[in-house]
Amino acid sequence: MSVAPSDVKPAASPKKQRRTPAPQSGFAPWKDPNAKPIVRFENVTKRFGNFVAVNNISLDIYEREFFALLGPSGCGKTTLLRMLAGFEKPTEGRIIVNGADVTDLAPYERKAVNMMFQSYALFPHMSVERNIGFGLRQDGMPAADIDKRVDEAMTMLELTKFAKRKPHQLSGGQQQRVALARAIAKKPRIMLLDEPLGALDKRLRQTAQFELMHIQESTGTTFIIVTHDQEEAMTVSSRIAVMDHGELVQVSTPGEIYETPQSQYVASFIGDVNILECKVSNVSDSQVELKWVDGDGTFAAQPPPGGVTKDQQVWLALRPEKVRIALDKPADTVNVISGRVDNIGYLGSISHYHVAVGNDERVTALRANAAQAVENTINWENEVWLDWSTDAGVILTR
Amino acid sequence: MRRWFVIGIPYLWLLVFFLVPFLIVFKISLSDTASAMPPYVPVLDWSDITGFFSQLDFENYGFIFSDSLYTNAYWSSLKIATISTFLTLLIAYPIAYGMARAPKEWQPLLVMLVILPFWTSFLIRVYAWIGILKKEGLLNLFLSNFGVDPLTIHNTVYAVYIGIVYSYLPFMILPLYASLEKINNALLEAAQDLGSPPWKTFWQVTFPLSLPGVLAGCFLVFIPAMGEFVIPDLLGGSDTLMIGKTLWTEFFSNRDWPLASAVAVILLLVLVVPIVLFQRNQQNQQEAGR
Repeated sequence: MSVAPSDVKPAASPKKQRRTPAPQSGFAPWKDPNAKPIVRFENVTKRFGNFVAVNNISLDIYEREFFALLGPSGCGKTTLLRMLAGFEKPTEGRIIVNGADVTDLAPYERKAVNMMFQSYALFPHMSVERNIGFGLRQDGMPAADIDKRVDEAMTMLELTKFAKRKPHQLSGGQQQRVALARAIAKKPRIMLLDEPLGALDKRLRQTAQFELMHIQESTGTTFIIVTHDQEEAMTVSSRIAVMDHGELVQVSTPGEIYETPQSQYVASFIGDVNILECKVSNVSDSQVELKWVDGDGTFAAQPPPGGVTKDQQVWLALRPEKVRIALDKPADTVNVISGRVDNIGYLGSISHYHVAVGNDERVTALRANAAQAVENTINWENEVWLDWSTDAGVILTR
Repeated sequence: MRRWFVIGIPYLWLLVFFLVPFLIVFKISLSDTASAMPPYVPVLDWSDITGFFSQLDFENYGFIFSDSLYTNAYWSSLKIATISTFLTLLIAYPIAYGMARAPKEWQPLLVMLVILPFWTSFLIRVYAWIGILKKEGLLNLFLSNFGVDPLTIHNTVYAVYIGIVYSYLPFMILPLYASLEKINNALLEAAQDLGSPPWKTFWQVTFPLSLPGVLAGCFLVFIPAMGEFVIPDLLGGSDTLMIGKTLWTEFFSNRDWPLASAVAVILLLVLVVPIVLFQRNQQNQQEAGR
């Protein structure tokens, strides 16, 4: 498989569904040096007392993007979003929306931005339609226009028959749609979504993800979503910013994040990955040769963007689905290691093979159960050979 | 069986300590006045039960409505209770709001400070106000430093307002605080995000959501203030007419127990309306909380 073209669909997970195409094919404004970002964070830092929530982040987000901020809890992703909404003021740096500095504007003055809250924050004393119309009433819009917009939003999110209900009379999924409708009714340029699907169960969440994507595309709004769910980020977004301890670790398309992670952190945060510690033994223009530290094996891989030097300590990241497993020794000698099957996870369509290799290391290989294999089945305690192609592994320098 | 026992206890309590005393008072209110010990004619003689009922009459009630003293006292009480409830709300709301917005770790301390006055006797606290408000009291002493002439507050209706507002303030603050503290901050943020400036957010979100607390507080102040006796007696002087004071005078100065009982029964009937409304409000709140 080739590495990193952004239009290639990542094999993030077997459960992953069909990805609706990007607004325009080849939609990649971040690659265009002339494109103007709709949101720009300029060296933004946020400190709470001694705690640095966001550390000197600079980030451009473009119009019509579905941008995901991904990271574990406490990584600063929500703080970054709240600074854009105006609920937190950056300690340092500037936030520019649509060319204008909004750093010092209060939330109610930021007309281009609306937020959907993790808790939904529906007004409990107002009916569904009053909730959805709330933002429009603040702008002094004529009542007839408000009704029209509210109806539009309710139709879009299939809420019409709940118009007169109070939030506590709705299910979680319905409340989530009301919260979305309320924010979208204002037709903001930029929609902020703070863990919008966190409270839904898994099945509902998948439906809601596609609904979000549909609304994002049909309204042409820029969506910025905060999530800790890597699968969700992969599914919905055009680009993902992976965050850790208040810093951006990598900002790329889902495909790039998955296929060419730039650090062990990103590689292991998104999907399953095998990481083999290596030493660089030889460097050429097109290929790097590696010596495995924890066992016998020499590997070859493409050089990383930053380049490597001889004897440098690096890590080879290998996705389980790219590791072939066989009972017979393959013909190649490069990218081949031997081991013993430690555990097998049978998932129906695929099986995970956990193989003990080298000095007490584990490598997971994934194999589709294409045929009802009766012959040549791999079993517990079998001695097996693992191999992969030269372009399967990614060299990580940190 | 055991369940009936558990449910029965509060009912038994109400029966013994509310219904029976009420019936006794009601019975007295239907009797005639007499200068005796007790100062009314005991009419309960089981051998002559028809005679007992024939002696009961509503004469006392008729008298109350014919004498403007009593109706004026009711109206005056109603007015004083209403105005002081409103004043208490005006003062308590910012306090409760500030408490609910204070840092979480301070809030128990602030609640404690609100309750603290209860550690001193109510009577002593009202007496203390005499010391503050009287002509040569602390307030006038303080004002005299600025060349202000002594104010006459003690023994006027204003002293009664001050006394009621002061005494019942905690009963207003606590329910208000309870309902304000429950409001999720995300709601206020959502309102602001949707374009509502803070002061508009207060009227559109905070205040409507605190209404159960406002109602509970108002009832908790209005109901006892309506029948208040100690505060008008100590602070209000002879000019202030309140039904609680009238009641006391009838019972102990005039020793007209039947008439006093009739006054008490009417007061209770007047208060039944707000009490029922209060119960309704509490019930709605509990249901909405689920």
